Amino acid sequence: MKDKLFEQLSTLVDDELTGPEQALLTRRIGRDADLQQRLSRYQLVSDALQNHLPPAVDPGFYRRVQAALHDEPAIRPGGLAGSRLGVLVKPVAGLAIAASVAVVAVLSIQSARQDEPSLPAVATLPADKDYVRVQTASTPGAQPRMGKKLDIYMVNHNEYAVSRGMQGMLPYVRIIGNDVSRDGKE
Amino acid sequence: MLLLLAAAASHAAAQDQAREWLGDMSRALQKLNYDGTFVYLHDGKLETMRIIHQAGSTGEKERLVSLTGSAREVLRDDESVTCIMPDSKSVMVGQSRARQLLPMVPQDLDSLLRYYRFEMLGADRMAGFQTRTVAITPRDEYRYGYRIWIDQDSKLLLKSDLTAADGTPIEQVMFTRLDIGSTITDAALQPSLSGKGYTWYHQSDEETAALPGSGETRWSVGRLPDGFSMTHYQRKRMQPDGQDTEHMVFSDGLATVSVYVESLASDNAGFTGLSGMGAMNAFGIIIDGHQITVVGEVPAVTVEMMARSVASGELPAHD
Repeated sequence: MKDKLFEQLSTLVDDELTGPEQALLTRRIGRDADLQQRLSRYQLVSDALQNHLPPAVDPGFYRRVQAALHDEPAIRPGGLAGSRLGVLVKPVAGLAIAASVAVVAVLSIQSARQDEPSLPAVATLPADKDYVRVQTASTPGAQPRMGKKLDIYMVNHNEYAVSRGMQGMLPYVRIIGNDVSRDGKE
Repeated sequence: MLLLLAAAASHAAAQDQAREWLGDMSRALQKLNYDGTFVYLHDGKLETMRIIHQAGSTGEKERLVSLTGSAREVLRDDESVTCIMPDSKSVMVGQSRARQLLPMVPQDLDSLLRYYRFEMLGADRMAGFQTRTVAITPRDEYRYGYRIWIDQDSKLLLKSDLTAADGTPIEQVMFTRLDIGSTITDAALQPSLSGKGYTWYHQSDEETAALPGSGETRWSVGRLPDGFSMTHYQRKRMQPDGQDTEHMVFSDGLATVSVYVESLASDNAGFTGLSGMGAMNAFGIIIDGHQITVVGEVPAVTVEMMARSVASGELPAHD
């Protein structure tokens, strides 16, 4: 029963679930915290494998994708027969390449697209190393936590961005998404 | 020659069409009731959130809540915006500002075309809805671009990619569920956390003085990307017990950048350098004993360039 549910979730991530099934599943996701977490993992893996991730990657990202690939029976090779996510994972395992290497490969492609020579080349990092957020050459090591003051500035600035912007409340997504407690645990 | 003219006319029509879709989307986001779940991808992290929006004769009310990780919430109505952050046990309350609709005024649109290219990219399907995709591509590296998927019927935004000038995604927002037009009860707009026991920060946004008078010191930004101009200036206290802060807002019509200047206490080391949160970048620098902070949803190069060009000067006396 759960396998069927997870398969539907994967199909949703592939944007191939339609009609009543799609409506039913999205309602269920809204109520079920476990499914929301699982959806996040599937989306993360899908985005990583389809090269849809931004170039700035925090150290915890690698571990999360690796954990999602290893701990998720439904997205192991053959676990999602017929789904794009399953297809994307399959060649990686078929070549007996560890998930970590697959992630490195994906990130290497993204890194290679950068024009700035100062950016670290992810491709040169060994697969068992963590990644660091890319920084500009003019501000080496500069990632200060501005703490409360920055929060105050962000909330204040957002009101000006929202009032002129076109995306409604979406600028506030950054405040919600900038979860310092989890940053610290990664 | 005729072919060139036809191509130019077709291009202009596509630009107009894209701007029309964006204007409709901007209105739909304000005028419709909706309740949706979406994922937000930034800096290699993925968050799931829910947004509830109520539009009525008494104005707009919104609630944005994180469904994963710390249960942060933002509540907004026509008067105030409240951010509840359980991870830091704090609540921030600020004043909300009236929104402008896109397209704003014709001259703004003509100006935007000098710095962005607007295109219609065709039809797509997203979260079960038929969508049209609009691309806004920056013409230089000082601003971000957007790809926006808009529901053909309701005109609501269903997916948004914020991209660097070379098209690399910086942030992505994508709805996985969206109910449009149903009744939004007041109960659905109540926060799940009371904020009891948290530290409350009330942004007074109290204007202590408008534009500085003649003979007074006024801070200014020496280098701005083309198309940016100051849209707002205020001296205010960000917190009731805080000191005066100069706040300048610059915009090119789409992107917005704030510059905050405040005197730095002698025992405060201040902060310098770059800090990034998804598409939002902040750059801090200390100039003449003042903390300068530039914040905006623009590339790092833009906030850094602006921050490094901030200078103070005495305004000339008027006759």
